[in-house]
Amino acid sequence: MIAATMLLFKSHRRPGIRGWELKNRLGKNYMRVVDALNSRLKPLGLEIKTVFEEGEENNLDKARFYVTLSHPLTMSDLVTAGWRIDEVAALAITLSTLSSRGGKASVKDVLEILETKFPRWKAEAYLEKAIRRGYIEKIEEETLAIGWRTRVEIDQKTLLKAILEHQESVGEKGTSKT
Amino acid sequence: MMRKLTLSKDELERIIQICENIEKRGLNPFTVSVKSILENLRKLLEENPSLDHYILDAETMYRIATIIALQHKWLEEKAKALFIDAQMISTRLVAMDKKSIVQAFLKAWRPIISLEQMTTQRLRQGLDHFLSLPPRKGEREYGWKITEKELEMIKAKLKLEEKALIERLKELHQELIKEAGDRGEVDYWKFVIRESFHETFERAYLLSFLITEGYVDVRKNPLKDEIKLIPHEEKLKRRSPKSLVITIGGDRAER
Repeated sequence: MIAATMLLFKSHRRPGIRGWELKNRLGKNYMRVVDALNSRLKPLGLEIKTVFEEGEENNLDKARFYVTLSHPLTMSDLVTAGWRIDEVAALAITLSTLSSRGGKASVKDVLEILETKFPRWKAEAYLEKAIRRGYIEKIEEETLAIGWRTRVEIDQKTLLKAILEHQESVGEKGTSKT
Repeated sequence: MMRKLTLSKDELERIIQICENIEKRGLNPFTVSVKSILENLRKLLEENPSLDHYILDAETMYRIATIIALQHKWLEEKAKALFIDAQMISTRLVAMDKKSIVQAFLKAWRPIISLEQMTTQRLRQGLDHFLSLPPRKGEREYGWKITEKELEMIKAKLKLEEKALIERLKELHQELIKEAGDRGEVDYWKFVIRESFHETFERAYLLSFLITEGYVDVRKNPLKDEIKLIPHEEKLKRRSPKSLVITIGGDRAER
């Protein structure tokens, strides 16, 4: 109960909770409680994700714990949740571009690709929104980087693979037509 | 010789700049040939063995070391990303329609589930935010947090205002003495009322300070409905001070 409340309710500016916070409330065997809760959440389509700090890959106390969906959303889920297709597409383009370039890219380069799909003002607005939500961050005046939320919510390798695979299937279709 | 020295310095600064750009903008670190830079660096150092050059040389070496570390990281990232070329991704993103991009994205996206609720911390944050808000219409009201710097500025401004007020009081006192002349008294309303209400109000307000301080006495005659001002050169000590309320406004305040 305590663990579920701590993990599900947002108590800081960012969602999720640190390992040491769980330890303070649940005791030093807090990982057992987390595992038990995880097995209860799984049938509901949820799971607990542990994200380690950079350079602290084995330090559970400093890691952050989040509850995320355990299965992919469908297009209709997306619309029901209030997301706009355009907005998600812009986010996908931005994150794929950043991931394929080692996590960083200039605003100019990202906007250049976004502008092939959206007018500039819209592309800029979507970037701003993604920054506010924590998907990307502006590290310099002209440089974008992967944000904290992307590290939690998105499997970047799967994303790039899906982009390539999807394109390949489109290419195959095209070949068969000709 | 001097020109050669400047040229080599410029060259070193250029190398530092290139390395910095790669580091900050996340560009491909393999665009720089570390080997040729190092050869160049050795040549420049042999030609100019001065302290300035040693310092710049150390800075350049540090930057090159960073580039090597970035190259290592870059390779690691590439390996993790299954050697997917950035250009290839860009080309495919441009070719795909929005819906297909979203479908691909959904395969990799597991959004965080969290609930918003009011906590004591949130309430504290809200209160802090409220207290830090500036007042509307530029007025200073209760609850506005004043910074140290602002406090200093206010103190300085108040000092200036106080000085101006003392000057104005002195002027008014002298004017009153002059107007009283040999009679030794002046009619309150004659002295206070001026063309604009603003000026009248200001004179009445300043006069109240002179009266309170003991530079001016007030004599009221209820039968004649007169109020007389009796100015003194020096400050007088009051034995039993009394309050007198004078209302300013209406027909009387305007000429």
